[in-house]
Amino acid sequence: MSSLEISGICKSFGTTEVLKNIDISIDSGDFLVLVGPSGCGKSTLLNMIAGLDTITSGDIVIDAEVVNDVRPSQRDIAMVFQSYALYPNMNVAKNISFGLEMRKMPKAEREQRVKKVAKLLQMEPLLNRKPSQLSGGQRQRVAMGRALVREPKIFLFDEPLSNLDAKLRVDMRTEIKKLHQRLCSTIVYVTHDQIEAMTLATKIAVMKDGILQQLGTPNEVYYNPSNLFVASFMGSPSMNLLSAEVGKQEGGLAVRIRQESGNEIMLPLPEVASYRQWVGKTVTLGIRPEAITDPGSAESGSSLLFNADCMIDVTEPTGAELYAIMELNEREVVARMRANCDVQAGQTTNVTFNMQHALLFDPETENRIA
Amino acid sequence: MAEMTRYDDSGARFWRVALYTTLIVFAVFYLLPLFVMLVTSFKSLDEIRQGNMLALPVQWTIEPWLKAWGTACVGLTCEGIHGYFWNSIKMVVPAVTISTILGALNGYVLTKWRFRGHKWIFALMLFGCFIPFQIVLIPMSQVLGKLGIAGDTAGLVLVHVTYGIGFSTLFFRNYYEAFPNELVKAAMIDGAGFFRIFWRIMLPSSGPIIVVTVIWQFTNIWNDFLFGASFAAGEGAPMTVALNNLVSSSTGVKEYNVHMAAAVIAAFPTLLVYVVAGRYFVRGLMAGSVKG
Amino acid sequence: MSEKNSAVADWLRQHLPKLVLSPSFAITIFFVYGFILYTAFISMTKSKMLPNLSKFVGFENYPKLWKTLNWQVALDNMLVFGFLYIVICGVLGLFLAILLDQKIRGEGFLRTTYLYPMALSFIVTGTAWKWFLNPGLGLEKSMHAWGFESFKFDWLINPDMAIYTIVIAGVWQSSGFVMAMFLAGLRGIDGEQLKAAQLDGASTFQTYWRIIIPQLRAVYLSAFVVLAHMAIKSYDLVVALTGGGPGRATEMPATFMYSYTFTRNQMGIGAASAMIMLMTIAAIIVPYLYAETREKQDG
Repeated sequence: MSSLEISGICKSFGTTEVLKNIDISIDSGDFLVLVGPSGCGKSTLLNMIAGLDTITSGDIVIDAEVVNDVRPSQRDIAMVFQSYALYPNMNVAKNISFGLEMRKMPKAEREQRVKKVAKLLQMEPLLNRKPSQLSGGQRQRVAMGRALVREPKIFLFDEPLSNLDAKLRVDMRTEIKKLHQRLCSTIVYVTHDQIEAMTLATKIAVMKDGILQQLGTPNEVYYNPSNLFVASFMGSPSMNLLSAEVGKQEGGLAVRIRQESGNEIMLPLPEVASYRQWVGKTVTLGIRPEAITDPGSAESGSSLLFNADCMIDVTEPTGAELYAIMELNEREVVARMRANCDVQAGQTTNVTFNMQHALLFDPETENRIA
Repeated sequence: MAEMTRYDDSGARFWRVALYTTLIVFAVFYLLPLFVMLVTSFKSLDEIRQGNMLALPVQWTIEPWLKAWGTACVGLTCEGIHGYFWNSIKMVVPAVTISTILGALNGYVLTKWRFRGHKWIFALMLFGCFIPFQIVLIPMSQVLGKLGIAGDTAGLVLVHVTYGIGFSTLFFRNYYEAFPNELVKAAMIDGAGFFRIFWRIMLPSSGPIIVVTVIWQFTNIWNDFLFGASFAAGEGAPMTVALNNLVSSSTGVKEYNVHMAAAVIAAFPTLLVYVVAGRYFVRGLMAGSVKG
Repeated sequence: MSEKNSAVADWLRQHLPKLVLSPSFAITIFFVYGFILYTAFISMTKSKMLPNLSKFVGFENYPKLWKTLNWQVALDNMLVFGFLYIVICGVLGLFLAILLDQKIRGEGFLRTTYLYPMALSFIVTGTAWKWFLNPGLGLEKSMHAWGFESFKFDWLINPDMAIYTIVIAGVWQSSGFVMAMFLAGLRGIDGEQLKAAQLDGASTFQTYWRIIIPQLRAVYLSAFVVLAHMAIKSYDLVVALTGGGPGRATEMPATFMYSYTFTRNQMGIGAASAMIMLMTIAAIIVPYLYAETREKQDG
């Protein structure tokens, strides 16, 4: 398995700049997920790693070797496409072995490898079928088989699960994770689904408009997002963001929160040196729904719990939990509560704010105040 | 292939050159007859007999054109082909108009006002597009004779409308098939009737298919020879029949330049349509052949 | 009175669509199927110059037809021309489509050039090629002028070779159309398959040969049906290019039918030949249409 370095990559189509100075470095065995909204450039970047798209400037380095001018078929990478891209006129076995055949591998060895991969992906009974005779999930596995059989340095996945229905998507996600653990392969995976990113990745690269917003582990990206975009993109339901003024109170700093009733509460802030410069100024407060709960669900180890009575506007029971929506500082805020909480819309109930993981963002630059 | 990137090396450049060369050679193949026709039509007979057919005229002359249009002998009369050109126009315009309107209405009925057996009716009408027209020559000549319009442009209009309905219905039917039914239903709920829906909702969105149908019909009817030769061989003959008569006459000196000028005149309308609206022409070709 | 009127009006409104469709449908039934039956009937009579429905002879005309030398020549020519026309148009069309698919500058211009002959009447095509291949003044003379003194091209007046001039002119006219069909088919192929092939290490040739061409099966079929249909019907081109000659060397079923019906006063035989043409076309078209409409129901 191999390391991959994306160094100063820029890409323009004519005068339109699609990727601006991307720097990402991963080690052998890493699972890198490129995540972001449509049009952020993640697929373009993936294509450039594969060699299917030209590089305007910058370098792609695989195992310390610059591969900018190396043909895709010689970069020793394999790719799983969004639409699977299976060859309709060949059966599954042929589809899988086609790449090996093009590389002039002898027939016996090809057949052996195909058998191995078919066993790994539990596809043995499908080998003689044509793609049109397979279900979506089966086709996806064939596409993966085609990539696996090459035993390449790096695997590339281009939104492989987006054409599957929700349940299948979750199942296949687990399969992919198991494969990664088993094979310790280096993977670059593109998706717009941040849940896939969180569950699969060892490193996440969040992108927007061709710019790398943040590169980090799932934990880093989730708990220490570098800016507002990353903070609101990662996590579902997304992080609550509201404008608030920083104020001083006994024991430290806090943010002023005005409830719907007009009542004002002061939510305590964690001890962060740079917060002091913001006293009296307005910041954007970020607090995740799971940090606003019913008192019984609050994280017991937290040092910054604050209780308040809040008026609930709407409740959304999902079966597994209950989302309660309230208004703070004239913004809708989502709280996550236990499913069997006795909360009704229009009622006031006691709510616990866990401020340990609350974040502040500079309202102008949108960067996190660290 | 739009998706493949290029990794330039001398081998690839060689193939690129070979590619363009081949394409150009074929372009020459396709253009050559047209070129020769044009070039020949501007030469004098002496020059044709002495010179190389591919050479440009040494002495350009428009005599052949004037002769083709106004004085060449077609059959028994020697008034050039202009009369026959107008015959073609008199035949094409009504035929295209009527068959297009009928095709639109038929397509509308078959897709938005479905009834039992509509598939069969469509299939029967569709098959009519594919029959060899030799099969109807005998009875049609009888019918036209009895109606008194044999040898007349009106007879040809009837013939072309009859055998053009199949294609125009096919085009409109396929087009309207893809037209959302919800719009029609909404209009019905609003109280609109059969014709109003057609007039106010279907037709305004039918621009492309009308163009395709008109171009297709125009080209086929203008270029037809069989019906023209069978049913209007004399004074009322269309352009194609006149051209063939002119070119195939075995008496006298073969005036190749006049023949070529006449051929270009005959080809001009459909060629013009093709150059101007070729995209729609291709759409018509596709629609008529790939889909059933 | 008003009740009766509204009942009539209601009936009209309910049946209006069918009423609108009925003239076209009636025309089709009469002028297509009615005429087919009529011609079929004529083919079973001893009609000479005019239809003579009284002289019924059953299927006697058909064996007579088959024994006619001209018909045998026509059938031979039909097979030779049909085969060459379909195969060459198919191969050439596919070849040009593949070439044009290579991101060519000026693709639009080239496409227009390859396709424009389709806009011409077969009479114009025949006239142009008749001149182009004119022995003595056409291609032969030009080649002489360029130094190929011994070049001979008298196919037009050579009874054995004349049929091939029709092939050339026919291919020139129709191959652009086949090219357009293949080009559309090529463009309909999922681009990601090409990327996958590139990653798999397939060369351009291998990609076409192993992946793309096998997928164009639907286009081959359509192209075959359309070309076969045009080949069987071909009349205008033969008339303009060779007139059926030299002699009757390029007789085709269509020219046979016309001459036997209208000039040779053998209407019964002529009608029989028309029936044969119809049945041949039906044998190709009907299964094709059936399969196409069936597919759409499943798909």
